Amino acid sequence: MSVSRDFSNDDKQLVIAIKGKFDFSLVQEFRQAYSHIGDSQPTVIIDLRETDYLDSSALGMLLNMRKSLGSSVKGIQLVNAKPDVRRILDISRFDKMFVIA
Amino acid sequence: MKVLIVDDQPANQVMLSGLIKRFGHQVRCASNGIEAIDVFSGLEPDVVLLDVMMPIMDGFETAPCLKALSGDVHLPILFITALDDQETLLKCLEAGGDDFISVPFEPVVLQAKLNAHARVRELSHSLKGKNEALAYHSNRMEREQNVVSHMLANALQENETQYPFLKTYLAPASEFNGDLVLTKAGPLGNFYLFVGDFTGHGLAPATGALPVSQTFFDLADKGLSIANMVEEFNRKLVKLLPDDMFCAAFVAELSANGERLTYWNGGIPDALLINEAGQVEKRLAPEHMALGILPPEEFSSQVSHCFVEKGIRLITYTDGVVEMTNQDDQRLSENGFEELLRRYACKRDFDGLVTALQKFQQGQEQFDDVSLVCLDCAPTNLPVISPDTNVTHLPFRLVVYLKEDEIRGRDPIIKLVDSLSHLEGIRAHKTTLYLLLAEAFNNTLEHSFLQLDSEIKQTGQGFDEYYRAREERLAELEGVEIEIDIEYRPKSSLLSFSLSSNSENGFNESVNDTEEDESLAFGRGLQLIRNFSSHVEWRDNGRCLYIEYDLSLPSA
Repeated sequence: MSVSRDFSNDDKQLVIAIKGKFDFSLVQEFRQAYSHIGDSQPTVIIDLRETDYLDSSALGMLLNMRKSLGSSVKGIQLVNAKPDVRRILDISRFDKMFVIA
Repeated sequence: MKVLIVDDQPANQVMLSGLIKRFGHQVRCASNGIEAIDVFSGLEPDVVLLDVMMPIMDGFETAPCLKALSGDVHLPILFITALDDQETLLKCLEAGGDDFISVPFEPVVLQAKLNAHARVRELSHSLKGKNEALAYHSNRMEREQNVVSHMLANALQENETQYPFLKTYLAPASEFNGDLVLTKAGPLGNFYLFVGDFTGHGLAPATGALPVSQTFFDLADKGLSIANMVEEFNRKLVKLLPDDMFCAAFVAELSANGERLTYWNGGIPDALLINEAGQVEKRLAPEHMALGILPPEEFSSQVSHCFVEKGIRLITYTDGVVEMTNQDDQRLSENGFEELLRRYACKRDFDGLVTALQKFQQGQEQFDDVSLVCLDCAPTNLPVISPDTNVTHLPFRLVVYLKEDEIRGRDPIIKLVDSLSHLEGIRAHKTTLYLLLAEAFNNTLEHSFLQLDSEIKQTGQGFDEYYRAREERLAELEGVEIEIDIEYRPKSSLLSFSLSSNSENGFNESVNDTEEDESLAFGRGLQLIRNFSSHVEWRDNGRCLYIEYDLSLPSA
C-alpha cells in the first residue's frame, strides 16, 4: 500500500503516510485515507518520509484535502519531507496553508 | 593396584610383598628413600608402604618427596612402624603419612587398609579429571564470551551517545547487559532512540542485541518510521528468540525541530515528559506487549504522537531503576524515583540524579540491569544528509520514444527517472527531475492530445472528473508519438530535456499559463517547471518544450 492511515492511540492524530510516488494515481486511496475521521477533531499528519516523487497533481490533492476537511480537523501538518520534496512545498508556498515541520 | 614397599629389612620386604601379591596387587620394593624416588615415576604406585627408620634417607624425609612426585592426585602413604611410640606416630602424620601398619602384619587388616586408601586415591583421581574438565570448559566459556563481547562491541560501534541533548546511565548487573540503549541520527536531522530490556540478564539476552541493533541502525539510516521499525524488530525477534524470552522496548523519534515526539512503548515502565521544574507533565505508558511475543499478524505497531514544548525532557528507564533496593530492603519505587527527578531535574543535574541512585543502592547487590535516558526535546541541530552529488563526467544523450501503449502502461516517467538515477550523481536530483519531466509530459499529454481543461480541476469533484476523463480518453488514444530527448553536457553541468510530440495542437502559452495563485488546485505545473529549471522555452510553435536543469546547483 502506497498510502497508509493510522490513528494514534488517543485518536488525537491521524497519520497518513505516502510511500514512493505521490500523484493523481493515488487520488482515490488518498481521499479514503482522510475520510471518516469522526468528530474527535484530530490533527492530520501527512508523513512524507518515504515520499520520493511528487508533482503538481499531489499538490492539488493536498489542497483538496484541506478544503474538504475544513474545520473538522484541528490542523494539517506536512512532516518529514526530504529536502527536495520540502523545496517543492516551499516554492509552492504551501507553508501559507499547512504547517510544514 | 600398584603398591610400592620401601623397607631396608629384606625380611619385611619378603613378607609384605608375599601378602600383597596374594591379594592380587602389583608390588615393587625399594630399600631406602633414594631408591623409592628412583622407581616412583616408572611405577606410578597407588599406595606406598614406607618404613620409618632406614639408613639412607629415612621415611620422614622420603614421604614429602613422594607426595610431591604424585602431583595433584592424592598418594596414600602408610608408615610401617610400631604402634606404641606416640611421638613417632605424630611425626609420621606431620611428614604426610595417612595411616600405619605394624609388625606383625595382620593380613585382613592390611588388605582392608589397602582397599580403603585405594578408594580415596580413586576419588582423588576422578576429582582431578573433573577439575581438568571444569578448567577446560571455563577457558572455553571465557574465550566464547570474549568472542561475543567483541561482536557486541562491533555491532554497537555505530551507537553514538555523544549528543548534547542526550544523557544516559547504563549499569549492567553482570558483564553482559540485558538492557540495550541505542541512538542514531536520521537523515532528516531527526533522532531515534531505542531503550530495550530483554528477559533475564547475562549472555543470552545480550545476544538479542545483535539483530536489534543492526536493524535499528539500518532503518534509522533510511529514516523510516517508528511503526516500520517496531514491526521489523518484532518480526526478527519472534523468529529468533525462544518462547520464554522477549524484549520490552520503548522506541521513539524526535523530529529535527524538536517539537514532535513519536513513540511506541511495549512493556517498558511509563516514560515521562517532565518540565523545567522536574514535574511530570505526561506519562507515556506501555500500550503494547513486548517485542518478540506476538506473531506479525497479531502485532500492533500503532504509535503515539505528542507535540512537545521547549524545555520538556523525556525520561525513560528500565525497571531495574525503580526495583533497586536500599539497605533496608525497600524498593526505590516510581514515587521515589519521581521525587529524585524533581530534586535534580530542575537543576538539570543528571550526574546528581545518577549519584543519588547509586547512593540509594549502596552496598546492595544489583539484581537487574539498570538503564536511564534523558532526552532534551529541543531542535536537534543534526545535519540533514544529502546524497552524493558528484556528477558523471561523461557526456550522454538519450532519446525515448513513447507511443500510446507505453503511455497507457505504467507511468513511463518514473521508469525513465529510475533509470537516470543509476547514473553517478543524478540520484541526488531524482525528485526534482521527476517533477520537471512529469509536469512537461503530463502537460503535453493532457492538453495537446487529451484536450483536457485544467479549469475543471478547481473543485474536489472536478479534480476527480478530470482524472477520470484523462483515463477514458487515454484508453481511446491512437497515433500518439511523444519524444523525450535527454542530453547531458558535463562542461556546463546542464541536463536538458526536449519533449516534443506529433500533435497538431501546440501549446498556447497565453491561455494555459495561469497566474500564480497558491490556492488553486491546478495550473501550477508550468510554474513549477519555471521554478526548478535554469532555462525553459517553447519551440516549434509550441510543439516542443525545452528545459535545462543545472546539476551543479545544490539539489535542495
